[in-house]
Amino acid sequence: MNLELIPLLIIVLLMISAGGVDVETTEFVIEGNHEITEHRGALIVGDAAVTIPDDETISGPVYVIGGELQVQGTVEGDVTQLSGSLAVEDGAAIDGELQHIGGSEEVADEAAIAERTPVEFTPAEPGPVAAYTPVVLTTLILSLVGAWLSRKRPMLLENIGTTARDHPVISLTVGALLSVTFLAVFVFMAFTLILLPVSILGLLIGLVAIAYGIIGLGYLAGKLLDMPRVGLATGLGVIGIMVLLQVAGAVPILGDLIAGGLLLIGLGAVVVTYFGLQKFEPVSLPE
Amino acid sequence: MKLFAFVRERQWIPVTGYLIYVAALTAGYYYNLTFVQLGLTDLGTREIGMSPEDVSIVMAVLALLTLVAAVGSGLVMDRRGWSTDLYVKFRLLFLIILVQLLLTIAAPFVSTVEGFVLWVVVCSATLGLGIPVTFSFMLDFIPIRDRGYVAATVAGLSFFVAALYPVEWRIDEFSLVMSAMMVPAVLVLAVLSVKRFAFVDVLASQHERSTFGTGRFCRPTPVRTLSVALWGPILLMFGVFFIDSLGFLRIIEEPLYIYTSWQSPDLSVRFFIAVFHIVGAVAAGVLYTNFDRNWVFLWVFGLFAFTHLLYVFDVRFGVGETPALILPMFYVLAVSFYTTLNFALWPDLSTAETIGTHTALGVGIAGWLATFMSTALALYSEGIELPLGSHLTYVNTLSLLFVVALPVLLYVHRMFELARGEAAS
Repeated sequence: MNLELIPLLIIVLLMISAGGVDVETTEFVIEGNHEITEHRGALIVGDAAVTIPDDETISGPVYVIGGELQVQGTVEGDVTQLSGSLAVEDGAAIDGELQHIGGSEEVADEAAIAERTPVEFTPAEPGPVAAYTPVVLTTLILSLVGAWLSRKRPMLLENIGTTARDHPVISLTVGALLSVTFLAVFVFMAFTLILLPVSILGLLIGLVAIAYGIIGLGYLAGKLLDMPRVGLATGLGVIGIMVLLQVAGAVPILGDLIAGGLLLIGLGAVVVTYFGLQKFEPVSLPE
Repeated sequence: MKLFAFVRERQWIPVTGYLIYVAALTAGYYYNLTFVQLGLTDLGTREIGMSPEDVSIVMAVLALLTLVAAVGSGLVMDRRGWSTDLYVKFRLLFLIILVQLLLTIAAPFVSTVEGFVLWVVVCSATLGLGIPVTFSFMLDFIPIRDRGYVAATVAGLSFFVAALYPVEWRIDEFSLVMSAMMVPAVLVLAVLSVKRFAFVDVLASQHERSTFGTGRFCRPTPVRTLSVALWGPILLMFGVFFIDSLGFLRIIEEPLYIYTSWQSPDLSVRFFIAVFHIVGAVAAGVLYTNFDRNWVFLWVFGLFAFTHLLYVFDVRFGVGETPALILPMFYVLAVSFYTTLNFALWPDLSTAETIGTHTALGVGIAGWLATFMSTALALYSEGIELPLGSHLTYVNTLSLLFVVALPVLLYVHRMFELARGEAAS
């Protein structure tokens, strides 16, 4: 599953729980091409191509968070589009509200829409300043936290940094296993709706752990600068790591692998050192 | 890895030991995965015309006989000192592969139920003898430091190849290919059985070095056969195998799930599964080498619990379409994890004096007895027409029970240790 879908999925599940829809009838279409001919309950369109054929009626509500939804028949409930693409063809009908928040939308003139509510955010093509503001802000916050931590509790970052440096394979393995498993567990929890708060909390803790890993790597990079002021060195190191992640992300496939690998090494190092509280030592084996 | 040090120092004899171990265990496990586990079902149902239930009963008998043969031969090998005599083990392996070669050639010509049962009985005898013989090679060829990685290599390679070949099961074709692959091994082993070589003499004495001959968990005190240190892992591994086969036996019978399993006709799905087998095995190797073994057990049970949860969820709430690949992905990770553990664990719980018995008990009880019992239970659940969802719920219950029980037992064990320490002081 595309990782970018996860926050949208959580938002949708929050909407579903707020709307009082029965989770047992909720269907999440994650991949492939599908023709939905009868469905009673909420329908979430992920990375899939979903068609509601002519002369077919589904109850809804329908949420589009990725992929493609093509409506030829009738949706009795609301349709909410957060991302992906939506096409409502001639003769198709949406009896509820069509809410367009994001993604591409194409509604034929002859389509019958009971109510339309466009939610306008920023323009589709933000300028370079708007595009990089979140990254710059995140970098600034992480470098400040890193500088503060390296002055107040240097041992925490020392443990994380040295583990990432001395045991990258172990850190990467643990980070990869934990991220894959817990990501799936939290998404799965979200589907129960009851555990949705736990799921969101878990994902937030995961993000904090990844951020903490970046700070640990930044501390390690800062040490290479050989500066007397450890706070400044760590801050600059974190900036360096964030720039490296951005630059690597621009290179297709290999860059993504490097960036992902770095993040997972940081996460693994955080976990095996108990968030830096304990130096990691692999089990002792005879040479 | 110690292997890199051997290569750097140009010590090619120990490196040869690695190659012999990986080749022997990978080939043996691949044969077991494909020809025995898939082939017998096909042979019984398609060629002879037996009902799937009858074939399952025969498979259960095979598992039980294999257990008996493994434990019996393991005990004999330790008592007679064969476990530490590499030349004797090569002779035994020659005998095993020769008989299996004949069985493989004969398989397409088996046409009666009596012939099929006889084939299974002889096959189980060779499989049973093969367990202590091949698993004990770990002490001869692989130093403790590298056992996790080597076990991962064997598990990953076996599953990778088995997931991709044969794509379509045909006993006659596959029998021919397997026979052709086995002939060189038989010839090499025949030579090693009758003639002494200097390099084999060096390999044969490696188990006398403490880095080879005394397992990781036998330091400073060797694990006794009648101890919690051995039977605890046997019970845990029994649970792992039992959960796996009990769940999987029913899952692969559902047409819906065949498309995302080993039996998928889609090569890209099988390739995905094959690659994830390697990924899972490598991860397990890293964890086994660098963490306490209980962490790996926790991961195995956790992965199984979550996998079955996913399947139960899909059975209950799925829309009857082919499920997402995330289901087999987690299944494959779990299977690779416990297979890697299974290859490395028993030799590490043994010394040169106990390797035959311990590997036979470990692999026999955890692997084969669990298979026998889970097959019987799966047949029973089919017999009483238990729905798949309920069946998987029971399996899921078991895996969750193990997930919770393991840390609790470890905690209680630690409490007892502390209490005994306080009492002593």
